[in-house]
Amino acid sequence: NNSPQLSSLPLQILLYVNGIYYIFYFLATLAMIIYKSQVFSYPDDLLAPDLAVLFLMAILEVPRLYLGFKGNLTEAEAPLGLSLGLTVGSVLLCVYLLLWQTYVLWADVLLSALLLSAYGLESGLKVMAITAFVS
Amino acid sequence: PADTRDTAQAPVRRAPAPVTDVARLCVCDLLVAQCDVNCCCDPDCSAQDFSLFTTCSVPVVTGDSQLCSQKAAVYSLDVEANPPERIFKLIDQVNPSIFCIHATNYEQALYLKSPEIPTPENFDQLLDKFGGATFSAEPDSWNLDTDAQNPPDANETSRYEYGVPVQTEDAFLRLPSPVVSSWCSDTNPAGFLVNQATKCIRSVSVEKCDSIQALSMLFYINSSILASVFQVNITVQSIVVQSLNGMRTLLSSSDVLRLPMLLDELCINAVLGVNYHITHTDTGEIIEAAAAFVLGAISKEALSIEQSFEISFTQEKAQPVPLSGNPGYVVGLPVRAGFQPQGYPFPAAFPFAALALSSNKHSQLTILHSTSTQDCLAAQGARAPVLFGCNMISGCKLRITAATKCQPLAQTLLEVLKGQSFPEYVASFGNSQAQDVLDWVPITQLHISEQMISHTLQSSCQIPVSLGIEVKWTKYGSLVNPQARIVNVTATITATTLKQLPSGRERIIPVTSSVVFTDISSPAEPSYKAWPTIDIKLPFDFFYPFV
Repeated sequence: NNSPQLSSLPLQILLYVNGIYYIFYFLATLAMIIYKSQVFSYPDDLLAPDLAVLFLMAILEVPRLYLGFKGNLTEAEAPLGLSLGLTVGSVLLCVYLLLWQTYVLWADVLLSALLLSAYGLESGLKVMAITAFVS
Repeated sequence: PADTRDTAQAPVRRAPAPVTDVARLCVCDLLVAQCDVNCCCDPDCSAQDFSLFTTCSVPVVTGDSQLCSQKAAVYSLDVEANPPERIFKLIDQVNPSIFCIHATNYEQALYLKSPEIPTPENFDQLLDKFGGATFSAEPDSWNLDTDAQNPPDANETSRYEYGVPVQTEDAFLRLPSPVVSSWCSDTNPAGFLVNQATKCIRSVSVEKCDSIQALSMLFYINSSILASVFQVNITVQSIVVQSLNGMRTLLSSSDVLRLPMLLDELCINAVLGVNYHITHTDTGEIIEAAAAFVLGAISKEALSIEQSFEISFTQEKAQPVPLSGNPGYVVGLPVRAGFQPQGYPFPAAFPFAALALSSNKHSQLTILHSTSTQDCLAAQGARAPVLFGCNMISGCKLRITAATKCQPLAQTLLEVLKGQSFPEYVASFGNSQAQDVLDWVPITQLHISEQMISHTLQSSCQIPVSLGIEVKWTKYGSLVNPQARIVNVTATITATTLKQLPSGRERIIPVTSSVVFTDISSPAEPSYKAWPTIDIKLPFDFFYPFV
C-alpha cells in the first residue's frame, strides 16, 4: 500500500511546541499582571477584563490543541477546521493582550508577538493540511 | 421646559488641562512674569539673565521614567562661553529594562487625576465621598474596618479624665463664661473635675423674653450627659426665685419646669444663675447630675443681666469637704481636724470608727482671734482657722479684780483659749478622708503648771493663761515633689496660780495662744537598688543516688 502519509509533520511539531510555549506564556503573563497591580495604579475595574481575557485564552487553548492533534493524526478535516476556528479566537485574544491591555510592558510585547507568529504559522500549516486531506 | 433649562445653564467649567509637554513644564518657575534665579527653564528669563546664573536648579524635566521611551528636556549652562549661555536640548530617554511600559490604555496611569468639578448633579455624591474628615481612594474597603472600630469608641466616653470636656448628646456641657469681654459666650465646655465659677453679662430685652434660649431653664438641662453605656439626665435640684429687690425664696417643689414668660411688663422665670453638681465614681464615670437654678425677673428698662454659673464635682459616697492639699498640705490652707463620734465603744482590737467631719468651721483647728477691745471675756468666740505653715500668735488681756472667782474663771479662760469644740484629731494629709482613721493624728494635750510646788497646787487654783499648739510636719514622698504631712500635734496649756488680790486692786494678765509649725523632715537619703542576687535552687533529688 503506497498511500502517502497525509498528516503534516511540521504541523505536529508546531502544535507540540505551541502547547509548551503556551504554558510558559500563561504563567509569565499572569506573573506580570500581578507585578503591574502592585507597582502601578491598577483599579479593579480594569484588572478584571485583563484577567478574564487571559483565562479565556487558556480555556480555549486546550480544545484547540486537542482538536489539532486529533485532526492531524486521524487525517480528518473536520476537527482540524474546528481547531482553525478556535485559533482565530485565540488570535483575537492575543491581539487584545498585545494592544489593549491596561499596561503593555516590553516583555508583554515580545511574548505576544512570538505567540502570534506561532499562531500564524500554525494556521498556514493547518490550511495546507486540510487541502491535502480533502483532495 | 427641561431642555430650555439645560441650554440656559452656563457652560460647565472644566479644570485647566494638565500640561504634559516636557518642553513647556518648568517646576522652578515660581514668580509670575519675573525671572527666577538659577531656573534655566523659566520662559521669563532673557539671555542676559542666563549669563548671571551659576547652575541650573532643574537640569532635566522628564515624564515617568517607567516608560520605555520618552522625551526629556535637558537644561544646562555652558560656562565656557563668554557670556555663559543656557543650552536646551530635547532628547529621547530610553529605559533599558524589559519591564518598561511600552504603552498604556489607561489615561490616569502615570498622571495625577484631575478632580471632578462639582455640578448640581454630582454635588451630593461628592459630598458623601469627600465631605468627611477623611476619605480614601476606595471607600468600600473601609466599611468593614470602621464597624470593627466602633465598639471600643463607645467605651472611651465612659471614663473621663481631668480636664476633658464633659460630653452631652449634642455637644458638650456648656458653662457660659466671659471670653475676652464680659459678655457671655455659650461655647465654654465644662471640664471634668474642674470646679469653675463664672459670671457674665447677657444682653436681654423684655419683648423677646421667651425667645432668648439662654434665659430658659430648658437650655441648661435639655441634653443629657453621655456616660458609659447610658445617658445621665440633668435633674433639677432646687429652684430659688429672686425678686426684683433681691430677696430670694426657695421653692418647695422643684419638679415643675418654669419657663420665662412676659407678665405685666416683666419677664419672669428668667435664669439668673445655674449651679451644676456632678457626682462621679472614683474611676471617672459620671453617675448623677443635678442643677440648682436661681430664677429672677427682668424689668422693662433692663438691657442686660448678669448671670452666674458654677459647676462642682463630688465623688460618690464622699462628703464634699474642701481639701487642704492633694495629698500634702498646701501652705495657707486650713488644717483639717475632726472628732471621734461619741458613745462608740472601742475595745483595743477593734478598729476605730470613722471620724465625724463636717465642712463647717467649727471642726477646723482654730485659734483665738484677737479683737480690737483686747478683752478676753468680751471676746465672744471670735476664732480664726489655723492655716498650715503659718505661725500665728494672738492674745487678749484679762482683767482680774478681787471679786473674781477662780474656778469659773478657769473654765471661761479654757473655753476662750480652746474654743467651743476643740478637735481631737488632725488630718495628716490634706486630702485625708474621714473613713481612713489611720490617716488622722491625735492631738496630744499637755498641761503645764508654772508653779510645780506640790502644796500650792492643792490650795490655790490654776488658770490657763496660754495655749501653744505645736504642729510637727515632715516632707513625705519623692525628692522632686515632696508633700507636707503632719506627724504630731501637741497642744500645751500653761496654767498659773491665781493669787488673791487685796480688794480694790486689779491686775491685767496677758493671755496668749500660738501656733508653731516645725519641720522635722529628715534629710533625703539617696537609695540605691540592691545588687541582684542569683537565686539558684538545686532540685530536690539532685544528688539522688548518694543522698
